[in-house]
Amino acid sequence: MTSPLASLRGRTTLLVVAMTSAAWFCASIAMWVDTRHELDELLDAHLAQAASFLVIREGGEDEELEHGRGATLHPYAPRVAFQVFQGSELIARSPDAPATPMTGLAAGFGNVTIAGAPWRTFTARNDERAGRVIVAEQVASRTSIAMAVLRGSLWPMLLAMPLLAVAMAWATGRGLRPLTQLGSALASRSPTALDAIVIERAPSEMRPMLDALNGLFARTGNLLDSERRFTADAAHELRTPIAGIRAQAQAAMTVVDAQARRHALGATLQGCDRAARLIDQLLLLARLESGAMPEFAPLDLCALARRVLADVTPDALAKRQSLEFVAPDHLVVRGSVALLQALVRNLVDNAIRYSPGGARVCVTALQEAGRSVLLVEDGGPGLGEAQRRRLGDRFFRGADTQEAGSGLGWSIVRRVAELHRMDVEVDRSPALHGLRVRFAFPA
Amino acid sequence: MRILLAEDDKLLGDGLRAGLRGLGFQVDWVRDGLAAERELRAQAYAALVLDLGLPHRDGLEVLSTLRREGHAVPVLVLTARDAIGERIRGLDSGADDYVVKPVDLHELAARLRALVRRAHGQPHDRLQLRGLALDPAARQVERNGQPVALSAREFDLLHALMLNVGRVLSREQLEQHLYSWGREVDSNAIEVHVHHLRRKLGPGTIQTVRGIGYLMPVDPALA
Repeated sequence: MTSPLASLRGRTTLLVVAMTSAAWFCASIAMWVDTRHELDELLDAHLAQAASFLVIREGGEDEELEHGRGATLHPYAPRVAFQVFQGSELIARSPDAPATPMTGLAAGFGNVTIAGAPWRTFTARNDERAGRVIVAEQVASRTSIAMAVLRGSLWPMLLAMPLLAVAMAWATGRGLRPLTQLGSALASRSPTALDAIVIERAPSEMRPMLDALNGLFARTGNLLDSERRFTADAAHELRTPIAGIRAQAQAAMTVVDAQARRHALGATLQGCDRAARLIDQLLLLARLESGAMPEFAPLDLCALARRVLADVTPDALAKRQSLEFVAPDHLVVRGSVALLQALVRNLVDNAIRYSPGGARVCVTALQEAGRSVLLVEDGGPGLGEAQRRRLGDRFFRGADTQEAGSGLGWSIVRRVAELHRMDVEVDRSPALHGLRVRFAFPA
Repeated sequence: MRILLAEDDKLLGDGLRAGLRGLGFQVDWVRDGLAAERELRAQAYAALVLDLGLPHRDGLEVLSTLRREGHAVPVLVLTARDAIGERIRGLDSGADDYVVKPVDLHELAARLRALVRRAHGQPHDRLQLRGLALDPAARQVERNGQPVALSAREFDLLHALMLNVGRVLSREQLEQHLYSWGREVDSNAIEVHVHHLRRKLGPGTIQTVRGIGYLMPVDPALA
């Protein structure tokens, strides 16, 4: 069992009961002070009146006070006392009053201690006849009256407190029901469920939390969707080259003609290369999309492009294309060597792949307005407006699917460009009439 | 058996064409949906192997157009997508069979034979007629339990005729059945093959309907 303080309900109940008690306590103190004050005034007035009355009586008739009766007059009788002096002679006193004067000669109120108990006194004088009357009253009786008044208000409060606690616990429980609902909705949720949580009549305090939760679900859902799509697309894209490899290998086993068999075996190898390249591209893209920031360092863009172009030259030669590189000796940019290599490789690969035999492919590196710029142009058919927009969609290939591209090249190019904060423009090459892609590094 | 292969992937299409040819099929290969429709309207094919992800016109569109036009050619759908929904959609659009890539060549061939056989109302793979038995998978023919040696063309011709027992097939139909594109066909090629078959299987097996074509009669006495 957890401590009641661990729950919002327990805390609220405890807090409310404690606050209420404190408030009541303060009110009681105020009431006590007020009651005592009023009581003191009232009883002091009575004391003074009684003393004055006795002084007058003492002056009028010589009447013996009955000693014995005084004690039984009233339960309060033992708590009040008086002494009547004529000169310094005590001529009358109540049964409880001491034989010696309770106070000095001064008239007015006073506080004395008689037999260990505090008393309130009032002395009235009749100077004409040297008479003096002292009336006294036990302070304890005042306290007990005030206490009685206080008790009258304390009892209902003590009775009300447990009821209040129960009511509070119930009310907070009810008020917190949406939270409980949210808890059970979350608990019973399957990990794949990413739809929004709906709580009927959710209080405004819960709205931000609910909105944040549902926002999180939506974002996670989108991420999952895109991952799922990527995996499905990747599987789909891998299936085709593998199906091709399988078909070619089986064809090689089935055909009798030696030339046809050689052709099939060659195609099998081609298929393996294609699948391997597709896997490389997929892994690169997965790394690029993982959000990890690659390490950037100053590098020579021209040297890098030259290396890549040397690698792809055989492909261009095989299609009798001319591959040109126009650049200064050095052009230093900040970036990742591996990623920029992949970018140039993909662009030039595409240019060679989608340009007809004998076409020109031109790569230019230059400095323009303080920015390093890389241009890749080809003499291919180019791309229409709609197709240009779709560039970078995973596995999108242009209309001419005769070519065995992975459809991932542009996704990689776009991502690498993003990571390098490059500006990318795609349009028609004025010189070669095919596609022109322009990358501008940040200044 | 002449089939049309509609597959946009160069490697796969080329491999399937070579493999199926090696297994005795005549294969024409197209690489987009529009070409597939064009060829199906122009030629008689025993079956169509259709990839769903075709450029210009999606495989499913080709299929539904085909069926709407009342084309009854058996269609085997070939696709990289194996989601159940896709399969159901494919079959509902009029596909007769569904194979997910990568496909085994022999399985593909067996399924094609089964499709063609069912399309001709034959319950068994092995075709039989009066002591004559033809096994399309093994490409073997037996006559009264004795194997008969036939050339590839002779076998295909006999297969076509046995699938259509009691129906007359014209010379053009048989030519289409036997030869894929780009093969020069002698004007009397069919006649020559029929001649050889008659010699190997007995004179009454294949009958000539003058001016129309050839048939294998259900009951030779009625012919």
